[in-house]
Amino acid sequence: MDATIIGAWVATGLTLFIFSFLYKDNPLFKLAENLYVGVSVGYTIVKTYDTVILHLIWKPIVENQEWTLLIPVAIGLLMLTRYVPKAAWLSRYAFAFIVGVGAGLAIPRTMSSFILKQIEDTIRPLLALTPGDGVAFSWNLMNPASSVNAIIVLIGVSSVLFYFFFSVEHRGPGKTVARTGVLFLMIAFGAAFGYTVMARMSLLIGRLTDLIEYSDPSYGRPTFWLVLVTIGTLIALSVRSRSEPPDSQ
Amino acid sequence: MSFAERMLKIDRRIIFVVIGLCTLLPLLYPVGLPIKISQEVRGVYDHIESLPERSVLLLSLDFDPASKPELYPQAVAILRHAFKKNLRVVAMTLWVSGTGMADELLTKVANESGKQRGTDYVFLGWSPGGTAVIINLGQDLYNAFPSDYGGKPTKGQPVLDGVNSLKDVTYAISLGAGNPGVEAWYVFGKDKYKFELGGGCTGVMAPGLYPLLRSGQINGLIGGLRGAAEYESLIGEKGRAVAGMDAQSATHVAIIVLVALCNVFYFTLRRQARQQGAQS
Repeated sequence: MDATIIGAWVATGLTLFIFSFLYKDNPLFKLAENLYVGVSVGYTIVKTYDTVILHLIWKPIVENQEWTLLIPVAIGLLMLTRYVPKAAWLSRYAFAFIVGVGAGLAIPRTMSSFILKQIEDTIRPLLALTPGDGVAFSWNLMNPASSVNAIIVLIGVSSVLFYFFFSVEHRGPGKTVARTGVLFLMIAFGAAFGYTVMARMSLLIGRLTDLIEYSDPSYGRPTFWLVLVTIGTLIALSVRSRSEPPDSQ
Repeated sequence: MSFAERMLKIDRRIIFVVIGLCTLLPLLYPVGLPIKISQEVRGVYDHIESLPERSVLLLSLDFDPASKPELYPQAVAILRHAFKKNLRVVAMTLWVSGTGMADELLTKVANESGKQRGTDYVFLGWSPGGTAVIINLGQDLYNAFPSDYGGKPTKGQPVLDGVNSLKDVTYAISLGAGNPGVEAWYVFGKDKYKFELGGGCTGVMAPGLYPLLRSGQINGLIGGLRGAAEYESLIGEKGRAVAGMDAQSATHVAIIVLVALCNVFYFTLRRQARQQGAQS
């Protein structure tokens, strides 16, 4: 049998088994869930072994005599000493190396990218100097770089920062500013939730598109047959759980 | 029990069925709702369109099968555009669990476009280290990836002529489903090695990446299946993303209606409770 057809049957079956959870928790869902975890972990282990151990360590050392690679290998092996209580202290050298290098690389780059660049973008000039027109104020809300959007960003950032400033009681004008901050936060949460809904629906669309494709006779109609199997199993499980006395469940 | 109470306690499986039907019916009977192109998607398209032939496009497929419905159509559309423009495509991934899928995707689109592995495109595969791989690529591509996914040495491949590091890349796009992804490519790649960067991401991540777009840190952003549909429309090759847009719109309408109804029932119940409280 063609591998594509086997793949279609497996993908259809696992999709339907996972969807069966929407009715209620059942053994088919558990089977698909555990298979997903097992296969993804197994795949990651095999790929990591092949890429790291074989191609990046074993072959360069044995075939190309790149002995300097033994230094990172030794540092990596120190990590494993955590499993030997008496030698666990050695792993601290490996962790110190990783934390030191990681922090050294990440801190300046993150500061530059997320703090300095974003501050620079927040405090844009409110009025733009355009050749021929002199100083201009643009009202175009659809243009992210317009003057009116620069003001909205400035108000939003200042009011949200003030809302999280807890050393002063939010009363009088401070309450208005804090409320404005809450309003901006609500809009941001709403936008994020809207995008999340869109993403989740996209995943559903992706699976249903595959199920429609696999209902084709060229695959042997796995969608049709496996829907029947899934529904039949759910009915059988439901009947069995009803016939059993409550204590045995 | 009043109607509003019954509606608020409705079996959630009925809502699942409604959403399922709203998704399934437009997929079976599409109506072809119009798709408006956004500035952020056009940013990526226009930049690729402006590149001269044989420019180097680095495509980092930083996702795994869990994000396939959203990012796979984006990758297909970008690759079709790049091959149509006769660009050299250097593909890679920072996600180990996505290597097999990325290779299959690249090979499929390249074969469709009649492109040769090693001459027109190369898949470097995955290398451990996450963000450290980006830094390593910025210093020496051949050190980061001594061989491609098929085990062939990267040095000497015609597709990599004149490419020694990220500084020699004309345009880079990261299609990311998380970390490492678009942000990592900006922080450890573009900010340090100064190449033009575009991004593609899942819908969940898009709001978090808009600040990078506004500040010009990335020159375009393809967000979710919607972004993929816009890109497919721009290149004139409608695929899975465009096909899913009717279903997307239908489910969004269904969810808006459900949210509105829930609010109506909630406020009705609250008013009833207040009236009963005032009477007693």
